[in-house]
Amino acid sequence: MRKIKYTLLISALFAMTAFSYACATEDSSEASSSGGSNTLQEVLDRGMLKCGVNDNLAGFGVVAADGSFSGFDIDFCKAVAAAILGDSSKVEYTPTTASNRFEALGSGEIDLLIRNTTWTASRDRELKQDFTAPTFYDGQGMMVYVDSGYSSIDDMEGATICVLQGTTTELNLDDRFTGTGMSYTPLTFETNDPLQAAFEEKRCDGWTTDKSGLASKRASFPASAGGPEALKVLPETLSKEPLGPLTRDNDSEMYDVVQWVVFGMMQAEESGINSSNVSSIASNPPNPGVARLLGASFEGGEVQDFSFGIPKDFMQKVISQVGNYGEVYDRHLVPLGLERAGSLNAMWTEGGLIYAPPFR
Amino acid sequence: MRSFVESIAQWSRFQKNRNLIIQFFFLIFTVLFAIYFLSVAFQLELSLSHFKSRAGFGLSHLFLIDYTSNDSRWVAYYAGVINTIRVCLVAILLTTVLGTVMGVARLSKNFLTSRIAWAYVEVLRNTPLLIQIIFWQIVFLQLPHISEAITFGNTSAISNRGISLPGVSDNGSAQMWFIFLGIMAAGSLFLSYFLNKREDKSGEYLSIAGYKLSGNIVGIIFFALIAVVTYFAFGKPVSLDIPSISQNTKGTWMQSGGFELSPEFAAILFALVIYTGTFITEIVRGSIQSLSKGQTEAAQAIGLSRYQSMTLVVLPQALRSIIPPLTNQFLNLTKNSSLAVVIAYPDLFMVSRTIMNNSGHALPVFFLILFTYLFLSLCISLVMNLINRRVTRIGT
Repeated sequence: MRKIKYTLLISALFAMTAFSYACATEDSSEASSSGGSNTLQEVLDRGMLKCGVNDNLAGFGVVAADGSFSGFDIDFCKAVAAAILGDSSKVEYTPTTASNRFEALGSGEIDLLIRNTTWTASRDRELKQDFTAPTFYDGQGMMVYVDSGYSSIDDMEGATICVLQGTTTELNLDDRFTGTGMSYTPLTFETNDPLQAAFEEKRCDGWTTDKSGLASKRASFPASAGGPEALKVLPETLSKEPLGPLTRDNDSEMYDVVQWVVFGMMQAEESGINSSNVSSIASNPPNPGVARLLGASFEGGEVQDFSFGIPKDFMQKVISQVGNYGEVYDRHLVPLGLERAGSLNAMWTEGGLIYAPPFR
Repeated sequence: MRSFVESIAQWSRFQKNRNLIIQFFFLIFTVLFAIYFLSVAFQLELSLSHFKSRAGFGLSHLFLIDYTSNDSRWVAYYAGVINTIRVCLVAILLTTVLGTVMGVARLSKNFLTSRIAWAYVEVLRNTPLLIQIIFWQIVFLQLPHISEAITFGNTSAISNRGISLPGVSDNGSAQMWFIFLGIMAAGSLFLSYFLNKREDKSGEYLSIAGYKLSGNIVGIIFFALIAVVTYFAFGKPVSLDIPSISQNTKGTWMQSGGFELSPEFAAILFALVIYTGTFITEIVRGSIQSLSKGQTEAAQAIGLSRYQSMTLVVLPQALRSIIPPLTNQFLNLTKNSSLAVVIAYPDLFMVSRTIMNNSGHALPVFFLILFTYLFLSLCISLVMNLINRRVTRIGT
């Protein structure tokens, strides 16, 4: 009896080791593949898209009390999930911080990063990550109190500026002040809440971040500290901040899908296709261009296949479940007071930068 | 085959052999885990070469180091390390004093004193440090705006931009003078030590006009004389610096001159001192209580006052059991100082994280942060172990 027990113990240990080894090798093979090749296939196999997002920026990505995510960036995650998996709800959101977002993508923890991230050369090259077309063109601004008497950043010699730590914003701020030979004191906070607390008590003379962020913070500025009327955003734009999705380097299949989902949503708006009319247009496309975009047949002809490795009608699902670019913008950013007309985010036909290459 | 199984069973009958098997498999498991971890880690960029590039960001608090955004990331990192050391050193000194006073007060016969110490410990030990740090930051932010700063006859200024006190300013040769004073301070200490030893041995002492001069007094007078003489010899190296508040032409209020205590530094300092002080209070109280009551009674029997029996008899003995747990608290304080990141005090952790974000290479920078804290902790341990060795040796 005793002998059997020991034999059992030993074989159990063997089994455990074999199992743990199997797990370990499986994990490492997954990790190594995520360093290079085919995220799209992994997403298809998994049936779930892992999207790194912001959970604390009104309009772009916020998490509600029940754990659901919503926002401009979130909608692009949904659009990619709808395109790849046919269901915009098959997204697993991973809240990322400004500091851990790139490592989360690089290590394979997430498949895709859509977190109001600025496209820069160093991020593109040194971090080995690829930026797709920007979804939002932002610019850094400076918010000050109306009664401060500042009318431009040149007036702010010696001022104390509140800024978020470790952002391109912080670097642009330094470029702007040291570049013009002005002194300043940066107060760099890790998160927005203590920063706002300090700004409300006028610990800082100015608050700098992307203009979209300033607009949302100004709109919600508490009345006890003067309300939105007490603040003004200076007209100067310190920097270009094109925000867009990122995928890993050398991950072309995934990159192309994300890229063209974004373009497709822009093209849909240009072609007048939205979530309410997409099914009727797809059943009877008015012209071959729309048919190509929607993966539908034009008057019984062959359906164009772009070989993205996902269903040909992916844009139909994206538009019916999420909407076109304009719908997403109106849903999340107009309530913040970010008017689209006349801004960089207007359609190219209206003088903006929202422009999709041809679906052909 | 059967004999093989049997021989295995035979072999495994010994506890030692069975343990060997378990350890063997545990080793394999650990190695596999390490391989997995490293294989993931090595996909990421692991060198620190990017620290040579231009930092490009400003720092709000600089001490002893002249940093501009044009310097390399290494310089920024050193500035962060110095900020950490600065807040930790000051906090360790203050918290030790606070903890000792409160620890003695905790045992006071005076009801009010002992209750105040008790309430201090119970309230502040049982609330999270992070919340205390944010609390102090909010407290300091409630000070008036700089345009309405409280000034005391123009000698100091208090506002939510900082508390400015009169300080000293360098007239060019201050550094040399301070180094010289440091050497002279050591010299005076040695002189006092020598005179005290001589008095203990032979009973000889210096006297002026019949008044006895103890070694300590001679040391202090010697140091004061040297300080005054060299102050003029070095051509008045320092002068008094009165803080001032002004508004520049564009309307920006500025506070300049003097010794400035910023709200961020003050908040992290207060929180660390007061929080760690509660633990030191309990250590001091416990150590005093662990001493035999006979020590106090004996001290009082030979006619020492309560103060004398505390400082000459009780505390020196309690010190033996105070030092080791005190070391722990100093280490905790140093590690807790990394919480400064939430209130915009640019300590080592915050600066490193900024560099990490700018470069995108989190893992190597994190290792650097870990090793820096490890180094600081080991330094504190070393100093405290030396003190401990000295304290435990006395009387044996």
